[in-house]
Amino acid sequence: MTATEFEAYLAGVLDGAYALALHLTRNRSDAEDLVQEAALLAFRGFWTFVRGTNFRAWFLRILSNAFFSSLRKRRPETGAVSLEEIPSAYMQRQAHQLAASGAAGGVAPGDLVLTVTGKLESDQITAAIDALPEEYRLVCTLYFLQDLPYRDIADVLEIPVGTVRSRLHRGRALLQKRLWQLAVDHGLVAAATGGAA
Amino acid sequence: MTLAPLTCAEAFKRLDDYLDRELSPEETVRVAKHLEVCARCAGEIGIERQVLEDIRMKLGRIKAPRGLMARISAQLKGG
Repeated sequence: MTATEFEAYLAGVLDGAYALALHLTRNRSDAEDLVQEAALLAFRGFWTFVRGTNFRAWFLRILSNAFFSSLRKRRPETGAVSLEEIPSAYMQRQAHQLAASGAAGGVAPGDLVLTVTGKLESDQITAAIDALPEEYRLVCTLYFLQDLPYRDIADVLEIPVGTVRSRLHRGRALLQKRLWQLAVDHGLVAAATGGAA
Repeated sequence: MTLAPLTCAEAFKRLDDYLDRELSPEETVRVAKHLEVCARCAGEIGIERQVLEDIRMKLGRIKAPRGLMARISAQLKGG
């Protein structure tokens, strides 16, 4: 194993690792420091990496651990978090409600939803994810930014797959609710009247 | 044994896992069969898939700062 081989692996995941670090630290300088620290730790432990397995998940776990340990930050609890129940496909429900009330201007519900996600800026969506409660934010960040399957997210965060599933489903629903509210606030869609929120 | 066809509500409960390809092969087939005969659910799942892709696309633009890899290389070589 050589530094060159390690660097070749790292180069392939560097953008994703930095993106995760940025979401964790919420600060560009700290994110760079975190990636550098994780890289050093990973290089020292590179002999434990099994060739042919997922380097990205392996490295992101090291980065995540470095973040939590360096800040002596408590990991999110694995227990259930009390939150209002938000159904899946929240934006579609709201769009259907708008259409039924005649406030959608004749636009089909599906088109209304895609208008919202199409018009919201990257920064707004990033901010909406960053504003999620931490247990949802981490899982959603790994899901959306890294496109990892549940098992790899569980591996990175060292939590059960079932916990990933429930957090991701609820986190996505919560995110949809926030994005829809953002769209209402910016006049992209009208506020729904009545019905489930 | 052939499992009973899913209702719209049953298919909806599986929506997130279906989109994430996290259902078992049997359950995936059950949802797919429902979508073949239910245009409304097929349309809604299509929209959800597009929503996820839109979000992912907009978040996927973060690039590591120029020079970070070089700094890491120097750090590794320095010990």
